[in-house]
Amino acid sequence: MSAAESATAIHRNQVDLLDFIDWSGVECLNQSSSHPLPNALKQGYREDEGLNLESDADEQLLIYIPFTQVIKLHSIVVMGSEEDGPKTVKLFANREHMGFSNVSDFPPSDTAVLSQDNLKGKPVVVKYVKFQNVRSLTIFIEDNQSGSEITKVQKIALYGSTVETTDMKGLKKIEDH
Amino acid sequence: MVLEATMICIDNSEWMRNGDYGPSRFQAQADAVNLICGAKTQSNPENTVGVLTMAGKGVRVLVTPTSDLGKILACMHGLEIGGEMNLAAGIQVAQLALKHRQNKKQQQRIIVFAGSPVKHEKKTLEMIGKKLKKNSVTLDIVNFGEDDEGKTEKLEALLAAVNNNDTSHIVHIPAGPNALSDVLLSTPIFTGDGEGGSGFAASAAAAAAGGISGFEFGVDPNLDPELALALRVSMEEERARQEAAAKKAAEESSKQEKGGEEQDATMTECASEGASEADNKKNEFLQALAMSMDEPASSHDLQDTEMSDAATEDPELALALQLSVQDSAKDSSSQSDMSKLLADQSFVSSILASLPGVDPNDPSVKEVLASMQSQSEPQQKQDEDKAPKEEDKK
Repeated sequence: MSAAESATAIHRNQVDLLDFIDWSGVECLNQSSSHPLPNALKQGYREDEGLNLESDADEQLLIYIPFTQVIKLHSIVVMGSEEDGPKTVKLFANREHMGFSNVSDFPPSDTAVLSQDNLKGKPVVVKYVKFQNVRSLTIFIEDNQSGSEITKVQKIALYGSTVETTDMKGLKKIEDH
Repeated sequence: MVLEATMICIDNSEWMRNGDYGPSRFQAQADAVNLICGAKTQSNPENTVGVLTMAGKGVRVLVTPTSDLGKILACMHGLEIGGEMNLAAGIQVAQLALKHRQNKKQQQRIIVFAGSPVKHEKKTLEMIGKKLKKNSVTLDIVNFGEDDEGKTEKLEALLAAVNNNDTSHIVHIPAGPNALSDVLLSTPIFTGDGEGGSGFAASAAAAAAGGISGFEFGVDPNLDPELALALRVSMEEERARQEAAAKKAAEESSKQEKGGEEQDATMTECASEGASEADNKKNEFLQALAMSMDEPASSHDLQDTEMSDAATEDPELALALQLSVQDSAKDSSSQSDMSKLLADQSFVSSILASLPGVDPNDPSVKEVLASMQSQSEPQQKQDEDKAPKEEDKK
């Protein structure tokens, strides 16, 4: 675990944004009730390879994550299996309560097509300039690697920094995890 | 009590003219809609309900999701029957209306009244169901009216596509003597709403079963909950007062034939009971007793029994009684009548005989009777002894 993380070490001032997620407002559309979002997001659950976030009616997933304070998003990590892991991931910053019907209504802040490396844990660096002032993040998983009916996500991690305080001493370095 | 936004899809097609349900299928449907709206708004005040019609010229939204019950009921008036139901379009418009609800925290629910034949393919319905599930919209289907080739099958398939953990339901209601709304009351469409909904359903069901068009006390608890509550509380108070009065009467007559000792014993019992209650209650009671002690002896017995009975049950009542007794004490004639009655041996023994557990030939009772006859002086002395004793007890 630590080897993989040091291999994917990012800039030193980036922090795992897990602590800044406002859990009361987190929503996920089209998730399977037996495999819900916390399996991929929460500390402990996301490390467990047996616990995945799975889609229900079809392969798309729409995840809405509000934050407790304004953050800048630097990179994300999306881990999954080779076949059922997500492929095209679109990120929307500061769009509240999106639905599947209006994902195509406005352009995403960033789009990422995940490779097998990404699925193994290599972070995807996002267009930092577009995520300077993020109150909430919407992650739209459009399809998966093999085109199967169900998309399975093992882990979603967000890395960035907060806007109010960028106290270098207070930040946890990623290598220390 | 789940926070929900509901869209009700009404079938107002030509098939609703049929009279096999209630006055007409359409009327039965309208009653059911009223009932559902009431239940939803009652179970959670922030719930919103909207209504649309599926037939007629086309799908038409009568009222967007609102918590104003009056608006919803008003829009049900003047609806015309005609055309053919378009189930798919109806559900999709309902989904759109829910998407634009004001409070995004509300769960989305669609209730469909499917009374006419379904002309869509099963595949189409399944796709619609899947889309609803994907957007976490739950669906309740009321299958009534026409039942033709595959309608039930198609609706069941639609439900299977939407259903996520049993949050969506389907109900089949055949034509029969019971009204559509009554049958609906017992279904998960109502009871699945949680405690609030089922409470409403239970009371409505009881009223319906009793054949009363209204509710208990003739006041609809939905339309006027405060009035219903006030009526219920006053009813209970009256019942309690009557019980107290009845108890008092029974105790009074039983106490009258017992002598000074028993009376004093009861008084001490009552005093100790008073002591076991809150302090101010006890003080009030003891004060009342003390005040009554100072009254003329002839009116003693009555006052004391009244005081002791009432005070244990209701100190305010005791106070009120005491005041009224004080007033009546000034009118000595009535009191003297009472004391005369008490002194009348035959009257007392007749009372004794009428009491269930008392045997007039019992020696203790006879002893008491004897002591009662020589009332006033010795009793007064004993009572005045009691008064300082109870002052000490305070």
